[in-house]
Amino acid sequence: MLKGNGVSTGVGFGNVVILKKLERKIEKKTIRDAQKEQELKRVHEALQEVINDTENQMKNITGTEADIMQAYLMIMQDPSLIAETENAIKNSNYNAEYAVEVGFNSVAQIFENMDDKYMASRSRDILDIKNRVLGKLFKEETIDLTKLNPNTIIVAEELTTSETAKLDFNNISGIVTELGGENSHTSIMARTHAIPAITKVKDATKILKNGDSIAINGTSGEIYINPTEEEKQKLIDLEKQLEEEKVELEKYKKQESVTRDGIKVKLYANIGLPADAKIALNNTAEGVGLFRSEFLYMDSDTMPSEESQFTAYKEAVQIMEGREVIIRTLDIGGDKDLKYLELEKEANPFLGYRAIRLCLDRQDIFKTQLRAILRASAFGKLAIMFPMISSIDELRAAKEVLEECKKELDNEGIEYDKNIQVGIMIEIPSAALIADKLAKECDFFSIGTNDLIQYTVAVERGNEKISKLYTKYHPAVIQLIKKAIDGAHSANIICGMCGEAAGDSTFIPLLVGLGLDEFSMNSNSILRARKTINNLDSKECSKLSEEVINMSSAEEVEKRLKEFINQK
Amino acid sequence: MVKDKIVLTNETGLHARPASELAKLAATFKSTIKLYVNGKTIDAKSILAIMSAGIKYNTEIEIECDGEDEEKALSEIKKGFENNFGE
Repeated sequence: MLKGNGVSTGVGFGNVVILKKLERKIEKKTIRDAQKEQELKRVHEALQEVINDTENQMKNITGTEADIMQAYLMIMQDPSLIAETENAIKNSNYNAEYAVEVGFNSVAQIFENMDDKYMASRSRDILDIKNRVLGKLFKEETIDLTKLNPNTIIVAEELTTSETAKLDFNNISGIVTELGGENSHTSIMARTHAIPAITKVKDATKILKNGDSIAINGTSGEIYINPTEEEKQKLIDLEKQLEEEKVELEKYKKQESVTRDGIKVKLYANIGLPADAKIALNNTAEGVGLFRSEFLYMDSDTMPSEESQFTAYKEAVQIMEGREVIIRTLDIGGDKDLKYLELEKEANPFLGYRAIRLCLDRQDIFKTQLRAILRASAFGKLAIMFPMISSIDELRAAKEVLEECKKELDNEGIEYDKNIQVGIMIEIPSAALIADKLAKECDFFSIGTNDLIQYTVAVERGNEKISKLYTKYHPAVIQLIKKAIDGAHSANIICGMCGEAAGDSTFIPLLVGLGLDEFSMNSNSILRARKTINNLDSKECSKLSEEVINMSSAEEVEKRLKEFINQK
Repeated sequence: MVKDKIVLTNETGLHARPASELAKLAATFKSTIKLYVNGKTIDAKSILAIMSAGIKYNTEIEIECDGEDEEKALSEIKKGFENNFGE
């Protein structure tokens, strides 16, 4: 049995598909003249296979994407694509692999040197084709993530965001990774789609083999290879129990989000893509507290246009049928990179050029997004939320850009919601400490616990060695949360929370006690959170929060909160 | 051999999609079709050649067709440019 960290509950049975980072070694060999024919043939055959694969993929695609694929296909079929490669074999006597490497690189170089940014980034397309051709030459098996066999369990070192975005969730029964924490994007996506997931499984890609029949327990983090009948039965029982819990939670779909003594709160969902709004609604989310707009940017090879963003925001707000949808403006930088932005590497990316800082600097990008949000606001109740605000100046500057966009739309005669609400994330201690001042100049707060914890205790989220120090139970974190909520209430605005902590049943009583108004979480946590809230008494929660806020250690806080919820 | 000049009116230049349309159209003719842009000669049947020329908005392009269907080729390709290849 292997063990890791269960990050998305549930039981999964299936066959392993390993996603390996490719480690190929391209050797430079000198071939004899007599071998040239053979090497040329290998290149042509490999390229033809790539062309055939692409044609197959195109069968299921229509619209703009199909046009782009068509252009891509024509590039592959253009004889000048491999002219340099052929020369490298014919004139320099290189082996096929090395010839492809140098030949395609020289084509990519031509694009890279172009001053037009769009064209320069086409060099990536050429390099992508090169990689696929090399993959064929090395007879590597490639996996089409969009079309998986039923009951696939994905095993990888770590999934990239673009890989996660492509995943064929209908056929995945589990995800196992070697790296990644509870709050990595893979974990968040797995929870949204209710797919069991386990991270931090040492050497998983080496121990597990393609096709292995395994069973995983996303709650305990246990992985069984060729599970025995007994083990299977245990998991089936657990699955049944989870299923029963799910059925039991179903009845909370009809309940209001209110405490025993009548204090009403809002239960919202966090989403990444417009389609996630359907999952949110299905779980009776009363709104969307966090639309992570960066996924639209990460999903694309180029900066998404105003039009494509408008379509996405409009889709989300229409799915939510009049319920509020809070869109967080681009939160990129830190651990989230956009290749086409060509951000410089920084020594401390989390303390660097990211989110609102980047947007205020690159107003072209910011305005495109704000215009798209404003236009979509004509179709429902949208709100705008700025991430990474650390000072009042940033809030004012961001609002100024928003005003400019509104004026532009006024001049163009385009409709939008003139009373669109503008809020900020409280995720930097400096913002929490001046919350009362910030609250006077915006319409709502949403506390981002993931970053707030990281910045308060000075622990990088992804760093395994110090992950124990990263805890929401730290009394300093709780004091900052209180500061934010009190600040909001002093100006009569709403305070929400969109970090993972908002959906944690152990933490909810404390948040109710502190007076949090809106809880935004993964869709699959909503019903459980409602059940928790229905069983709480707000006065008991207030007492609990007064008690906890004066504690001196995280351990003490955690113990007390667990004790409180277990008595319920 | 027939020639004519046009100015590119695609605001975003000859990107992948219009470039592929141009190459596709050019390939339907038997004539050799060349574009002369900024002192460079481009084979209009090669999408890579077109794209890597980085032809921008408002650039003057000379189209040269040579072969049995040169007249038709020239007029169709001019028409393609005028319609911005369906962009």
